[in-house]
Amino acid sequence: MLTSVYVHFPWCLKKCPYCDFNSYGTARQDVPHAAYADAVLRELEFRSETLAERTLVSVFFGGGTPSLWDPEQLGRVLSAVTSAFGTVSPSLEVTVECNPTSLDRARAAALREAGVNRLSVGVQSLDETRLRFLGRLHDAPLALEALRAARAELPRVSADFMFGMPGQKAPDFVSELERVLETGVDHVSAYALTVESGTQFGELHRKGRLPLATDDDYAETFLAARRCLASHGMRHYEVSNHARPGEEARHNLHYWRGGDYLGLGAGAVGCLADPATLGASRWRSESHPAHYLERSGTKAVQAWTEALSPEDRVREALMLGLRTLEGVSLSRVAQQTGVTLTRGREQALARRTARGEVLLDGDVLRVLPEHWLALDAIVTDLF
Amino acid sequence: MTFPVERIRNFSIIAHIDHGKSTLADRILEFTGALSDREKQAQFLDNMELERERGITIKAQSVRLEYRADDGILYELNLIDTPGHVDFNYEVSRSLAACEGALLVVDASQGVEAQTLANVYLALENNLEIIPVFNKIDLPGADIDRVRREVEEVIGLDCSEAIPASAKEGIGMKEILEAVVKRVPPPKTAGADAPLRALLVDSWYDAYRGAMALIRVVDGTIRPGTKIKMLATRAEYEVTELGVFAPFARAIPELGPGEAGFFAAAIRTVRDCKVGDTITELRRQATERLPGFREVKPMVFCGIFPTEPSEYPNLREALEKLQLNDSALTWEPETSEALGFGFRCGFLGMLHMEIVQERLEREYDLDLITTAPSVVYHVYQNDGTMLPVENPSRLPDPVKIDHIEEPFFKVSIHVPSAYVGAVLKLCEERRGSQRAIQYASQDRVIIVYDLPLGEVLFDFFDRLKSATKGYASMDYELAGYQTNPLVRVDMLINGEKVDALSAIVHREKAQYVGRGLADKLRGIVPRQQYEVAIQAAIGGKIIARETVRALRKDVTAKCYGGDISRKRKLLEKQKEGKRRMKAVGSVEIPQEAFHAILKIE
Repeated sequence: MLTSVYVHFPWCLKKCPYCDFNSYGTARQDVPHAAYADAVLRELEFRSETLAERTLVSVFFGGGTPSLWDPEQLGRVLSAVTSAFGTVSPSLEVTVECNPTSLDRARAAALREAGVNRLSVGVQSLDETRLRFLGRLHDAPLALEALRAARAELPRVSADFMFGMPGQKAPDFVSELERVLETGVDHVSAYALTVESGTQFGELHRKGRLPLATDDDYAETFLAARRCLASHGMRHYEVSNHARPGEEARHNLHYWRGGDYLGLGAGAVGCLADPATLGASRWRSESHPAHYLERSGTKAVQAWTEALSPEDRVREALMLGLRTLEGVSLSRVAQQTGVTLTRGREQALARRTARGEVLLDGDVLRVLPEHWLALDAIVTDLF
Repeated sequence: MTFPVERIRNFSIIAHIDHGKSTLADRILEFTGALSDREKQAQFLDNMELERERGITIKAQSVRLEYRADDGILYELNLIDTPGHVDFNYEVSRSLAACEGALLVVDASQGVEAQTLANVYLALENNLEIIPVFNKIDLPGADIDRVRREVEEVIGLDCSEAIPASAKEGIGMKEILEAVVKRVPPPKTAGADAPLRALLVDSWYDAYRGAMALIRVVDGTIRPGTKIKMLATRAEYEVTELGVFAPFARAIPELGPGEAGFFAAAIRTVRDCKVGDTITELRRQATERLPGFREVKPMVFCGIFPTEPSEYPNLREALEKLQLNDSALTWEPETSEALGFGFRCGFLGMLHMEIVQERLEREYDLDLITTAPSVVYHVYQNDGTMLPVENPSRLPDPVKIDHIEEPFFKVSIHVPSAYVGAVLKLCEERRGSQRAIQYASQDRVIIVYDLPLGEVLFDFFDRLKSATKGYASMDYELAGYQTNPLVRVDMLINGEKVDALSAIVHREKAQYVGRGLADKLRGIVPRQQYEVAIQAAIGGKIIARETVRALRKDVTAKCYGGDISRKRKLLEKQKEGKRRMKAVGSVEIPQEAFHAILKIE
């Protein structure tokens, strides 16, 4: 069974006001590098017996800011993860999320030596006003420098961008993308700013004090980004992701294909299929680092679990698969869940097909990219 | 041998909602030992879940109690419960007709409310002995003198022997029961051997026994095996079971003059048990009916449609089941171009309608779209025929109409004098004509208006409450039909007429309603993938247009491993929300839209 591993690193130098991930602002010197690695290894050990039969296809270090982690400790975790699996894919992808404030050439080299082969850099914007609005600690030159440093040491580098900030028009975003492409990155993620409750932005929004881009600006920017990146040879292979062919994030594609994944670290989520029921079980470990450090390696670290029915998994397959250019493979869904996806969805499929939004092409169900801006409505219709 | 009539007392309790009727009934049951502590269940007489939640009684019940009074004699008391809402006015009057006395329960901190008053008048019409009880005297705001003055002035009832009580604290129970025994007269009767005459007070459906009838015997005696005839329906049955609630159902060998109880007689539906009917013996028929019988007719109509067409058979089955126990509910199949197959249902009033809708959704787990309520218009056509129209979309072509009549209500509103202006303004806006303004006391006013029922349906009560900070109470009764210049306003969505959104309104208000409706719908119809045009039209002429702009961005930005469950649940919730919408053409319209007309400012 092909399996991915996600390792969460829960600290940042500063919590960004829009961020609803499990992260805690902390001073550089206060990160418990070795203790946290030990805790992750304990959790890995606790889960290890299920891994011998599995094939590892990707490892993703997310956060938080995992580039803050001492590369030696990160490497220790990575080598333990690879040796825990029975088989490791020859094309194993190992990605680390980085912030420009904790990524220089030496750090990139150290990560490469630790076994990392892909970096994803949180640029977010190359406009100083927007960087300030987003509460970022870096400026545009530092971001570009971090990307160049990454490119110098590693073959595969992605730049993370955000759009939908107040006053941001499509041409503004396109010129930011043009500048970032000069660094030679082969993958760009472009996320629409999403206001989540429980964040500073969420609170401001609730009080009506958060300016945002209009829907029209959002939509125009989304489309302009696709055009711009396509003209540079990048394919819009998922709602928020663009890559040169072959440079897609394999780890994320694995999620979108409904693959099994193991989560390690504070607040990490894992989800493994149950071949007996064709359902799956998903769990999340203790989010707070202190609790995680204390409970890791025991069952008590599991803070939340969810049993997924085959139908739940089918809905997830639709929600995730239809985000991608490659679409949902009906035979894969049937194999994963025992469910014939089209059954009971005939009317909705016919309706959406007639409108030219959905295409059922042999085994593959896709939402055509020109309708991705209406994806949630289409997906819920098919739910 | 039947129980001696002179030791029977039949009484009911008249009270405004929240003034403590149910609690008082419970205390009386406890005090007489009818309900042991173990059996105690708060508010015993309200046995339906919905009734308890809303604090209102829909179905009447009666309870037989035994009480040994201070004079040493054992009395049989029948407490006959009354439905507690104006929609059930006629049923209340029949319950009261089964009694010789009534406890008038007035909240000592609140005073008399319109609904109480309406029922007091019903009781007085039925010549009941009324015993005022001032409840909740334990509350700090209780002012017995003020309430006494008010009852005396408003109702003209002598309150020198009113009983101060607190049902919650159990204060005054003995005094109440002694007053019932001393002041309520025993039933009048032609005797236990006279030809049977019994008043049908209420009925309900029992899955095993068929329709059950609650009766009050006036003359003669009824026993299991008695062959009976109902004088209004002319139907004949044989009594298979006879019983009383004491308070739990118990079989008895006979019911004599003055007594209340229930029987089963293999009656198929509750519609065969017409409230107010007279039951007599088949062999020895009484010639004279008991007075006051009336056919109950639905006043308010609405369309009920399943959101999923495949649910239609389930909806039909649910309506059939509800109707088993609700003789006032009527329905017939209806087809709407916009909403598909459904039913046109008739109700006694707004509350009845809400209760039925809620039960369909709650007890039968149906997702429904209901249209705005309508009244029955009498449409006189040029050929001289009268067509009753209870569905605006069925209004004939205007060129064929000579004139239209609409039903009116006589509405009595009780309100503190400070709010008279606000109430008058509201009634005038609703095309009312004033009948009377009476000062019930120095600071309480009774305002009587004739109002078109169609206007009363449209959010009148909520407006009244907000205009008077909740102090107004209201009672209404039908007051005939009047001719008025009425027209139909149609709504178009993306150029398509949505029949279920049509409304019949006064010509002078039509522009205003059309514009208001278009504006409201703009706020209610969610933004969708495509632009939606909303138009209002009168007789093909567009009078208003609003646009719901297309939703250009409806996509989740991020969806990775840690967040899949939450995102899936969000989308599932959206799906659930859409389940409550009806697709008209390619436009999703939420249930709320069909009631938008009720909310026009």
